Amino acid sequence: MKKGMMNTVRSRCVATTTRRALLLAAPVFASLAGASGLLPASAQAADTPLVIARAMDINSLDPARTWCDTCQIYVSNVYESLIGLGPDNKTLMPRLATKWESNADQTQFTFHLDPDAVFSDGSPVEAKDVKWSWERLHNIKGGPSFMMDGVKSIEAPDAHTVVATMEAPNSEFLGILTAPYTGAVNSDVAIANGANANADADKSDTSEPWFMANSAGSGPYVLADYKADDELRFKANPNYKRSKVGISEIVVKNTKDAVAQAQLLESGAADIAMQIDPDTAKTIKSDSVAIEMVPSYNFVYVAVSPGAKGNTVKLTKEVRQAIGYALDYNGTVEFTVAGQGKLQAAPIPNGFPGTDGLPTPTQDIAKAKELLEKAGLGNGFEINAEFPNMNVYGVDLSLLMQKVQQDLAQVNIKVGLTPLEFSVWRTHVRGDGIPLTAVFYAPDYFGSAQYIQYFAMTEGTPWWKRAGGEHDATITNAKEGDLLKQALAAPEAEKDKFFHDIAMEMINDRVIIPLVSPDVVLAHAKSVKGVRYSACCNLPLDEITRE
Amino acid sequence: MYRYIIRRLIAMPLLLLGIVSIAFLLTHFTKGDPLISIIGERQMDNPIVIAAARARWGLDRSLPEQYLIYVGNLLTGDLGTSFQTKQGVAKDLLQRLPATLELVTAAMLVGCLLGVTLGVVAAHYRDRAADHLARLLALIGSSLPVFWSGLILLFVFWYTLRILPSPGRLDTRSTAPPFVTGFYTIDSVVAGNFAVFAESIWHLILPACVLGWAVMGIISRLVRASMLDVLNQDYILAARAKGASEPRVLVNHALRNALIPTLTIVGFSFAYLITGAVLSEKIFSWPGMGSYAVDAARNLDYPAIMGVTIVGGTAFLLTNLVTDIAYAFVDPRIRFR
Repeated sequence: MKKGMMNTVRSRCVATTTRRALLLAAPVFASLAGASGLLPASAQAADTPLVIARAMDINSLDPARTWCDTCQIYVSNVYESLIGLGPDNKTLMPRLATKWESNADQTQFTFHLDPDAVFSDGSPVEAKDVKWSWERLHNIKGGPSFMMDGVKSIEAPDAHTVVATMEAPNSEFLGILTAPYTGAVNSDVAIANGANANADADKSDTSEPWFMANSAGSGPYVLADYKADDELRFKANPNYKRSKVGISEIVVKNTKDAVAQAQLLESGAADIAMQIDPDTAKTIKSDSVAIEMVPSYNFVYVAVSPGAKGNTVKLTKEVRQAIGYALDYNGTVEFTVAGQGKLQAAPIPNGFPGTDGLPTPTQDIAKAKELLEKAGLGNGFEINAEFPNMNVYGVDLSLLMQKVQQDLAQVNIKVGLTPLEFSVWRTHVRGDGIPLTAVFYAPDYFGSAQYIQYFAMTEGTPWWKRAGGEHDATITNAKEGDLLKQALAAPEAEKDKFFHDIAMEMINDRVIIPLVSPDVVLAHAKSVKGVRYSACCNLPLDEITRE
Repeated sequence: MYRYIIRRLIAMPLLLLGIVSIAFLLTHFTKGDPLISIIGERQMDNPIVIAAARARWGLDRSLPEQYLIYVGNLLTGDLGTSFQTKQGVAKDLLQRLPATLELVTAAMLVGCLLGVTLGVVAAHYRDRAADHLARLLALIGSSLPVFWSGLILLFVFWYTLRILPSPGRLDTRSTAPPFVTGFYTIDSVVAGNFAVFAESIWHLILPACVLGWAVMGIISRLVRASMLDVLNQDYILAARAKGASEPRVLVNHALRNALIPTLTIVGFSFAYLITGAVLSEKIFSWPGMGSYAVDAARNLDYPAIMGVTIVGGTAFLLTNLVTDIAYAFVDPRIRFR
């Protein structure tokens, strides 16, 4: 073959190969065009998943072990509870239980289950499943196990009736049941995968890995896929009949910080973001994004621990009250959340039982100085503040503590600031104690008892221990415990009064000093409707629709 | 050579044991309490819950006991169970390693191709505009921290210009292809899903360029320096005198010899990127080893921290070995003892 002919054949071959390559690559280029958004929206799939950008803090997907904000979203939408919380965040709504009643002294509660309720596999939700789920919740001894504290027995007299008997009156038990962790699990399916509700379930239950990849609830959604540190994917439960589920597939996309969440929202890559701080929210300029600030029940507080080993002076009630008067509450709300937050008087969120009429916290430097003089500390003292180095509910705790440092400097209290990793902070606060710290709290359900059981200076509560109650009798306020018993035994109409009295006692203790209740920024695409903040469940997914 | 390789392979488990022991001690001597991420803050003062969690995760045993159990399990290939994902650490790593390898391989491709090309061009046009430009690019690449360049490029090309995609391995609404190798670019082709293939390539571009840029800076400078040395050698003069074309002189005669020192850097860069892709994975929401390592460290997930350390250590040891072996192939004068 002549050289010229060979070149012609070669170039033909090259041309043919190129054409073939282009033909083969055509779908790839078309896909690239689609992926890059060059194709019109109409050409792309209409029924696309709804994306929620949020920092996933999931520690488990087992309803008896899970404990976090994203976990609330997951559990509440997959494992239906007996009672729900209405849009006003106060009213109890029927869910698995169509009705319920309690005896006069609030020690026995009877629930009547919806006979039409079914799990995602189509099998009926029965009383035995509820009994099993609650017993397992208690016996697993996991994060939410305290929800079943004080429950003496759970009976299932028939397939659709559950009777729970308490060890002592507990008028808040119905409220507790709105917490998603109490949702019903399909016991047959769970048992087949290693779960059990025996007394030794903490040792013998081996089902957690199964729960991380599967679900067995009766809620509006089922678990489609979970990739830790990447995404949590829900699919609509085809057997769910209680309400019409608007979105067939929902993806929670792990997006660590507020700025990235806002950018995803603006770019259209996400539809909802709930962890954007007010300052970042102001940078969102897109016309297609709706931003709503709603009051939350979350709050950030400083805690003063008289029993901490690092104290340089005795933090008596007078000194603690002086610290309380020295703080600039309004300034803190402005400084930390650009005014997008509320003041909170007591360690019980605004709007919860007993909080009506509580005195608004105010700064009074003269009063603070007077109290310090009286305590013999007119020249001030030094105090070390250790706190988790984190941004929570839009509040940067480092910034918050700098404000506290400035405020206390006005009454000659010199605050040393030491930010710590959360796990290290936890070890310190349980160990030698921390003289001054800042942390946060979010509700698990609508009810005030949870706050008293956590913050009150009654024997055994977490903050009583942290404040040094075990070593210093002056810290204990037994009155708060007595009032709580009365509140839990009181009829609905009377319990607020007791909670109000406890709140006043806690304000007077000045161990827990709430600084700000930050608003929740609900940022979402305008085409998305039904996004709301829920006190028990964070974000009810079945109420969301898309235009 | 084979004896040398076998000796090195025999030494590896001992080196790994050293790495495991140091990592075990360091992680367990931190002051934090891993239980807070397992059971949550609310129950951390409940002695019954604390005791149950400690027993479940073996944290109620003494440190020497925990160490012996861990090493014993390790010998059977059991890396333990992650406190966070509740599945075997080996499984976690197998799920995440492909994501990191896919990113690092793409970054190395970008870094090597551009680095070698720029190095050759810079050496050939020494002290001329092309050289200055290549050196400037290399300087910027190797000086800029990846977290900064990553954020800036993401802001410009995704958020502002919208010509490159959002962070992540795929679009936020897309579904990953069925797991075969864990490389989305391969798994999507295996599944016959070319849309996902294109998307995965599309999403690789920015993180691979950011990581690759840093590698490119180092490689191009090294190639330039080596090329300048080699281009002054007599055999290059001889090649030119024989009438070899300039590209042939540069690539066939000069570059092959100039690549020997570069291989070491390529090997180290690969291992460095595997273990050091932490920041870029966080910035680009890339669910790989780096991302896993950060979360493990933050939550004091001891088994996960140990698993990442073992994989990282093994990667370094293996790349060292592969680099040493590659020397012999590139330079036949090198013999192993």
